[in-house]
Amino acid sequence: MGPLIPNGIIPSDWDSIIAILIGIAFGFVLEASGFSSSRKLAGVFYGYDFAVLKVFFTAALVATIGIYYMDYLGYLDVGQLYVHPTFLWGAIIGGIIMGIGFVAGGFCPGTSLCAVAIGKIDAIIYVVGIMIGVFIFSELFFLFEPLYEGAFFGNITLMDSLGVNPYWFIFIFTIIAIVSFVISDIIRKRNKKIFY
Amino acid sequence: MVKRKVAKVLAFRYKILAGILIILAGGLVLLPKYEKHEGIKPEQLLSNVISPERYISTDILADKLINQDPSYLLIDVRDKESYHTYTLPNAINIPLAKLLDEDSERYLNQDEYDVVLFSNDNFYADQAWILCNRLDYQNLHVLKGGINQWFNTVINPPKPLENMPTEQFELYSFRKAASMYFGVAYPEQFKAVKKPKKKIVKKIITVKKKKKAPAEGGC
Amino acid sequence: MKELEKTKRISIASTLFILVVLIAVLAFERPKHMYKVNSVNTLEKLTSNDYFISLNDVNIENDILIDVRNQFEYEKGHLKNALNIYAPEILSDTNSTIFEELKERDKTIVLYGANPDEVNAPFMLLYQLGYTRVKILAVENSYVQNKLITNAVDIEKSVANVNAFIDESIKKATQSLKKKVVVRKKPRKKIITVKKKKKAPAEGGC
Repeated sequence: MGPLIPNGIIPSDWDSIIAILIGIAFGFVLEASGFSSSRKLAGVFYGYDFAVLKVFFTAALVATIGIYYMDYLGYLDVGQLYVHPTFLWGAIIGGIIMGIGFVAGGFCPGTSLCAVAIGKIDAIIYVVGIMIGVFIFSELFFLFEPLYEGAFFGNITLMDSLGVNPYWFIFIFTIIAIVSFVISDIIRKRNKKIFY
Repeated sequence: MVKRKVAKVLAFRYKILAGILIILAGGLVLLPKYEKHEGIKPEQLLSNVISPERYISTDILADKLINQDPSYLLIDVRDKESYHTYTLPNAINIPLAKLLDEDSERYLNQDEYDVVLFSNDNFYADQAWILCNRLDYQNLHVLKGGINQWFNTVINPPKPLENMPTEQFELYSFRKAASMYFGVAYPEQFKAVKKPKKKIVKKIITVKKKKKAPAEGGC
Repeated sequence: MKELEKTKRISIASTLFILVVLIAVLAFERPKHMYKVNSVNTLEKLTSNDYFISLNDVNIENDILIDVRNQFEYEKGHLKNALNIYAPEILSDTNSTIFEELKERDKTIVLYGANPDEVNAPFMLLYQLGYTRVKILAVENSYVQNKLITNAVDIEKSVANVNAFIDESIKKATQSLKKKVVVRKKPRKKIITVKKKKKAPAEGGC
């Protein structure tokens, strides 16, 4: 049956409309859970608030478990889902840059827009920074091109590259997630409470 | 009083949620596994297979070829050798063994052409059709009787007997004309001999891959 | 108190989530028939060509003959010890149990019909459903004076070399033409003037 759009159950003309609806919902949830505050986001790195870690880890868990149940029951075909292609070095270096930006600015690209929406000045400056970065990147693309398109691994997932059974992988992943939640809670309790 | 009890239970809420996640993930591991259902339902496949809708007769195909209907794509599922000995004009060779290769999929899983599968008889072509039908490929047909039938009707049509109805004669004259088109010469036919045998130029057929709109993801 | 209100949302969300999962599981109905062999393996089997069996090789102890023609034809005449399962009904419950039982008893299912073409579809369906010990009896059944005649057939045998036939016909035509030429002393030759394609010499201009 699913995924709905590639199988033509929902025509692909609706892509943008669905994207907007999901985007609005995503933005609402981000704002409602306080993710438009840079202090909350940066809390992960300083050890006083692990909401970001918990939220994104839980979201990933719920999604994978749900998808695999749906796959098992025949409502969805995992093989048809889009897997983002892996460019190894591009991903590593990009990840480092994004991480630095995350700690320094206290936003990730999505939450910064969320924060702009509620009128935070730091977020506005952050977004301007993103735009400048985009501009520099596209102007100097010929320099970055070998890095950007190099070390291409195709649309692989961890299950492909490690060759493990996806079900066991999900189970182990769940346990890792819950252990990390417990550890993050312990760390948070040790740290001094910071009000923000 | 109730509220306090609820609050007591809810004090464990994160543990409960964590427990649910672990149980669900463990359930995935423990669930009995079975071979993934690939393609359409067996019941559906059976009813598709039983119906003779997939067959196209040699006469109709000859008509389409003579009129150079651009929407038809012929696929020869015999091996290479037989393909090189004789094949229908502009046919593409996809041996049965290579039917599920990625290159073949371009020709079979598309919605631009009406694909006609054929082999010597319709046995192998039928098998190819059934496999493709299971994978839910559309617009596939099978040449009824295959090359043998093609030979018996179009290339070497049997002369109708005197006492047969006129339709038979009409059919015969059509088939004879068709056979001339496909290169057979008749004694009473003068021109065809003089003409140097037209070499059938292999048309290059390009098939666009069915768009499976790749969804772009992003954070 | 505020704590409670916050948790309400979480618990509502989680109950909804569990509900959705429960509904999905309950609504799930396991299909009666499942493919057990995927198409790639089926194709391998098909190209191996070892699924044909001739009538002489049928072993009564291990092989079960199944007639896929309809009941009328079956009653008119059938091979010895053959069961009748009409092709469109092979997925019905009673027939499934028969196949299941044959599978357990390790019997080979040998299918036949009026001709091998007719058996093709049931054979492929059964094979893909996991009854891997299925074979096609390479015979053709016809009636001569209400008596069943069973002939062995070659599958997919090419009856004629079409190219050779075409060449032959051209040869014959030319030969008869020559004869005609001999008979008619002064043949009015139809002159076919083939215009030479003008290879337009590129005219330079301007």
